[in-house]
Amino acid sequence: MIRLFNWLRRGSLERGLDRELQYHYDRRVVDLTSAGIPEPEARRRVAVELGLAQVREEVRDVWFTRWLRDFLYDLRFSLRSLLRTPGFTAATLLSLALGIGATTAIYSLVDQVILHALPVRDPGRLVLIDWRGDHVVGGFGSFNLMPYPLCRDLQQQTRVFVGVLCRSDEVPVNLSAGGDPKPVAAELVSGSYFSVLGVGPALGRVIQAEDDTAPGASPIVVLSYDFWQAQFGAAPDIVGRKVLINQHPMTVIGVAAREFHGVDVAIVPALWLPASMYAQAIPGIYDERLLQSPTRWMQILGSLRPDVTLAQAQAGLQPWFKGWLEENTRRPGFPVITADRRRRYFGSALQLMPAPQGYSPLRRSLSEPLWLLFAATAVLLGLACLNVASLFLARGSARDREIGTRLALGASRSRIGRQLLADSVLLALTGGAFGIVLAPPVVRALIAFLPGNYADAHALHSAISLQLLAFTFLASVAAGLLSGIAPALHSGRDSLISSLRERAGTAFGGVRLRKCIVTLQVAFSLILVTGAALFVRTLADLLAKGPGFDTTRLVSFSLAPLKNGYSRADSARLIRRIDGEVRALPITRSSAVVRFPLLTGGSWSNPFIIQASRRIVTDRDVHENAVSPGFFATLGVRVISGRNFDGGDVRPAGETGRRRSAIVNQAFVRRYLPGVDPLGILIGEGSGPDVKPETVIVGVVADFSYRNLREDSEQIFFPIFEGDDFGGTFYVKVRGTSEQAFQSIRQIVGNTDPQLPIVSFRPLDEQVNRSLNTERMLAALSAGFGALALLLSLIGLYGVMSFVVTRRTREIGIRVALGATAGSAIRLILSDALAMIAAGVAIALPCVAALGRLVQSQLFGITATDPATVAGAALILAAGTLAAAFIPAWRASKVSPTDALRLE
Amino acid sequence: MPSPRFPIPQGTLDMLILQILSLEPAHGYGIAQRLEQISRSVVQVNQGSLYPALHRLEQKGWLRAEWKQSETGRDARFYSLTAAGRKQLAIEKDSWARLSGAVNLIFEEGSR
Repeated sequence: MIRLFNWLRRGSLERGLDRELQYHYDRRVVDLTSAGIPEPEARRRVAVELGLAQVREEVRDVWFTRWLRDFLYDLRFSLRSLLRTPGFTAATLLSLALGIGATTAIYSLVDQVILHALPVRDPGRLVLIDWRGDHVVGGFGSFNLMPYPLCRDLQQQTRVFVGVLCRSDEVPVNLSAGGDPKPVAAELVSGSYFSVLGVGPALGRVIQAEDDTAPGASPIVVLSYDFWQAQFGAAPDIVGRKVLINQHPMTVIGVAAREFHGVDVAIVPALWLPASMYAQAIPGIYDERLLQSPTRWMQILGSLRPDVTLAQAQAGLQPWFKGWLEENTRRPGFPVITADRRRRYFGSALQLMPAPQGYSPLRRSLSEPLWLLFAATAVLLGLACLNVASLFLARGSARDREIGTRLALGASRSRIGRQLLADSVLLALTGGAFGIVLAPPVVRALIAFLPGNYADAHALHSAISLQLLAFTFLASVAAGLLSGIAPALHSGRDSLISSLRERAGTAFGGVRLRKCIVTLQVAFSLILVTGAALFVRTLADLLAKGPGFDTTRLVSFSLAPLKNGYSRADSARLIRRIDGEVRALPITRSSAVVRFPLLTGGSWSNPFIIQASRRIVTDRDVHENAVSPGFFATLGVRVISGRNFDGGDVRPAGETGRRRSAIVNQAFVRRYLPGVDPLGILIGEGSGPDVKPETVIVGVVADFSYRNLREDSEQIFFPIFEGDDFGGTFYVKVRGTSEQAFQSIRQIVGNTDPQLPIVSFRPLDEQVNRSLNTERMLAALSAGFGALALLLSLIGLYGVMSFVVTRRTREIGIRVALGATAGSAIRLILSDALAMIAAGVAIALPCVAALGRLVQSQLFGITATDPATVAGAALILAAGTLAAAFIPAWRASKVSPTDALRLE
Repeated sequence: MPSPRFPIPQGTLDMLILQILSLEPAHGYGIAQRLEQISRSVVQVNQGSLYPALHRLEQKGWLRAEWKQSETGRDARFYSLTAAGRKQLAIEKDSWARLSGAVNLIFEEGSR
């Protein structure tokens, strides 16, 4: 470090040394002359004694150390020589900038989504506490769901934890602060949430343990910093202000610390509410005693004590958890279960997982695609390095004379090799700088590709962090070393005399090394091209398959009247009324309401009991939905047998009763009722011995997608207007455009209740596209990478073959002179290229097979080693590279023997 | 010409410089003269090698340098010992004493 500092002030250091030495010199001369030695003789003697030039060199070595000096001189020299060959420099810079930029961009996402630790106290000690085994009790939310009482009781385990917190998934609530209610994302948290994370307020105070005791007793809100800035203009008097959450008055008590965005990287909550306010935040919740009940709806995170390891904590909790499980069975709402189920329930254990990055379903769904893309960019960067290496070798052969001269003047081989390394490192660092400039727009584009609205929520950003800079720097240096090492090792290996004697450009120039490089390039490219082909086919297959229903001119929107203060009965009445009015619109072809929206990635699901010839419990959860009579017609889904829902399946709003009829899909019949007439069979929701199957299957419909396009799993439908459904998603088949439809629908909803927000109004085509975002990202990026890789290896092959032709001009000339045909000359060159391509393919195939297992889960409809796809990719690659080799081969065939021989 | 002098052993120049500067601050030429006096006809110090050594010791933080007026009235670069330099001198003296003691012991052992 001090050496680099010395380098920066080397001017003043040099001047000081000159003065110091001059002083010595003068004093010595004066002393000698006064001793009677004549001045010229004295000067000569002192100069010999001191050896000024050598002293200066030695002192400089002290200042900067040898290698740093040499390296910095090398850099200067490299810069000059690179500026002299702008074409070469631009080509290498472009390869490296693309490679490094792409790697940096993907790494930015990998870091944010997968690696980044939360800005909280001791993120390294955060653990996610999960339940391994049979939960028995259902719940709502995404993953790793636990009951609230478990969180409360775990807080007493102070031998293991400093503190334990729990939080709900994102809960959409309607917030009004003076104006119309707006839907925003809230997070319900335990009173320990902020203290365990060590997150303080930016303003006011945060939620504390006292705020999370009795249900409904603490109508308080903590805003996130960003939301306070964006929605309240950073109003300094925000603390104490009254707002309405789902029409319930609440008081803002504070704003959370600026850097804290919640524990889920994908979701930035606008506000936090105490868990005790669940009834206000989640209106219409079916379980009215959430703080006591075994219903699972929250994730639990704990902060381990410093003296406890993860394994100790996990082992230490089990005895206590056994007792807790026993206690849990006595909670209100715990179902009656069979002895077998009971055994499995008591076999459950708590599992702790390190969670320094918090909790994130985004990480769950994206980490695999992101690592894949990261690996692909790394391969691409490797390819770019190989390309640069081969360009260097080409330049190296042109520079053989220069290098030969330097060797003859006494430079060591390692010194020259280092000079070449300096070239490549300088190029790579410059490429890295361009890459850094390139990265933010690429990251922004990538974020737009991600499923969901992560870009809108500002959950992910494209800013360059210090860590990212460090990564890019390391990647650049690695790329520089990688692309420079082969040419550096190779430099000066040819005989000194021969290189001096030959004219520049005709030297042997490491053809064998360059052929190896091209072979590797072909192998790398084939891996990337195969990956691209697999992902493109996956996307194409999914698009061709579609969701199983007709999405043209189909739009959807959601209403949640309970969040605007409606009672269940009023809400059910409102939904029915709006349903009627939408159906009466002239622009509507047909329309329907469902309880749970399609293609969101989530679903409503439960195990079912089927009373066929014997009582069957479904071996996995069946997806269910409640739909209005026109639903299947609106989506264009065929009713295969039995009847559709009709007016007989409707009860007046507010009236409830048992479910009378159900429609199942073909997948359900295939799995559970093969070879049986499903019509008339009784089913019941749940799996316990107390469940009475009393709902009749009245119809069977064709399969279509529920959670996403990939699956057509078992589904059961109930009539929505038979129960007290209080909200829902409307599907409307329209005659005009979706904009016209939106106008009319907004008018209807506005006339009914101007305060009621319409949530996520979208054409279904757009939703299908949205649900395929991950697949599209993989397909688009891998196709881009594949094309780049192909291009790089074409250039590489073309370069080396041109070189070979130039070098063998004389030989070819002689062959032609002796009667060889143009065709045989072409064959001669092409067979050379073909050998490289074949070797590359041979290297790549086992790699493709090995890597296939990693990508399999991202594919749809094909296996990773699908022979046709792999063969197709190899064929594309072989055709492209052969075409690239053909140009120099053609040139070889045009060699005129007289010219070729005269050349020598 | 000078009587046969043997070159200064590797590594001892640093110690000698520290020793000279422990008495009083001096500039390069002064140190050279003192070396010349002390070691007259015993060891041979190349005047040129003095400066790399001085700069190395300065970089290690054992010496401090400043421009001051010298006895002739011209500005010269004066070196003085830092606290770390003093400590280092003590260490080197100690290890030198132990080394020469050990060598002596071996010689006595061998001549018995």
